[in-house]
Amino acid sequence: MTLATISNFIAAFFTLSIFSFLYKDNPFYKFAEAMFTGVTMGYAIPLVYYNTFIPFVYRPIFVEHNFWIIIPSIMGLLYIFRFHKNLSWLSRYPIVFGMAIVGMGIPLSMHAYVLVQMRSAMMPIDGINTFLIFIGTVTILMYFFFSKAHKGVYGKITNIGIWFMMIGFGASFGYTVMARISLLIGRIQFLLGDWLGLIK
Amino acid sequence: MAKEKMNFFDRMQALDRRYIYLVVALAIILPLLIPFNSKTYVTEPVENLYKKIDSFAGHKDRAILMCFSHDASTMAELFPMEVAILRHCFQRKVQVFTICFMPAAKPLMDYALQTAKEDYTVQSGEDYVNFGYKPWGIFLPIVLGMGDDVAKAVETDDEGRIVSNLDIMKEIKNYNEMNLIIDFAASGAVGTWITYARSIYGANVAAGVTAVMAADNFPYLQTGQLIGMLAGLKGAAEYEKLVDVFATYKNADGTVGREFSKEILKDSWVKLSDIKNPVYKTARIGMNAQTVAHVMIIVFIALGNLGFFINKRKNKAN
Repeated sequence: MTLATISNFIAAFFTLSIFSFLYKDNPFYKFAEAMFTGVTMGYAIPLVYYNTFIPFVYRPIFVEHNFWIIIPSIMGLLYIFRFHKNLSWLSRYPIVFGMAIVGMGIPLSMHAYVLVQMRSAMMPIDGINTFLIFIGTVTILMYFFFSKAHKGVYGKITNIGIWFMMIGFGASFGYTVMARISLLIGRIQFLLGDWLGLIK
Repeated sequence: MAKEKMNFFDRMQALDRRYIYLVVALAIILPLLIPFNSKTYVTEPVENLYKKIDSFAGHKDRAILMCFSHDASTMAELFPMEVAILRHCFQRKVQVFTICFMPAAKPLMDYALQTAKEDYTVQSGEDYVNFGYKPWGIFLPIVLGMGDDVAKAVETDDEGRIVSNLDIMKEIKNYNEMNLIIDFAASGAVGTWITYARSIYGANVAAGVTAVMAADNFPYLQTGQLIGMLAGLKGAAEYEKLVDVFATYKNADGTVGREFSKEILKDSWVKLSDIKNPVYKTARIGMNAQTVAHVMIIVFIALGNLGFFINKRKNKAN
């Protein structure tokens, strides 16, 4: 029996254990769930240790004697105080530092997510698609204008906005269904193909 | 009081959900066991990405960066597209870099490379480089640093070699040369590449996303911030087809590969049974099952709604 066969058997056992929840909650499901969490953490900890701690903390300080690294290292250690009732405020310092980086991204995010999108929405109406985008954008914006009651002609216009939103949510839902079914297909392909060898 | 007799629609609405699970499972298992050929229509975002990658073929001063931003939970959707793109690159001599910033993505990245290069004689450091796992904490310095010098930003590859010493880096400096980034994600990770690499350096960005994320990313296609997108298993199936029809096409003179052409694509018909390696048709086989499952779901939704309205009318009459 090869290593691949053994690993396929183990993976098949855990896949079926997880699927067993569809019938009802049971110890196999609980075992597989706990095992998954444990293995994920067990894998991530040494990977982060060897790829983060060693090259970015240990080697610069102890091998290259670059002692500036001690400052951000201490800053990072302050996160641990999150668990201490009286000293948890210390953990806010690294958080503030992190927020500064978020702040740095605001002008760029404004450009990427708002300005470019706005520019694209202001294109000339040269066909049915751009016309539909224009109607959809205007009516949805009007729907979210709450300073005026949604009654009469205004209410009818905002209703068009609701229809556009519903079509958008429907498209999202359709994609979500496809995604979930794809995941199931992936697992069944594994069970029937890799494990049982039934898919040719 | 005598119990009112339930009609068909009452019974359907009160049906134990486990029967529905069973029917959905059968709708997926049967098409996988009894394969059939269905036509895969290629959409414009997939076509654009294929053409962009193909335009780098044979150019030593061009490369693509594939960023793996997902874990095993979404492997079913993203892995086939990663393998298809890698095969395209290896077949057409497009230089590839791979990187990930999530610990859980590392084995998937290695597995994708391992799977794709099985049928090709490609050398690490010459045809492709796996930059390996880099901590999320240095994501921004790397993304911004690559705008200046890729080798300096990444420093070492997965095998611990100094990136600047590798042959592949001779003509690759920054985003001007590594001019296409494809992020494979089940999250909004691609937005970060758009925000920094696209906005500051004008790098071309494309996305390989799960179907759930597709609707969120369409606005970026419309604005041109994304040059292409593979959406879920369908996107992967489309790309697999393009690789078969163009990149790995065997010409009469014995050479392999041909230029993209809309006319050829329109008339193309790939018989799945002709493809020997099951990994190269995973997404297309999966899409057959997907089609049957979707029909089942539509039938269930139609029955549920029909039952709802019939009961509503019945209650009104009573």
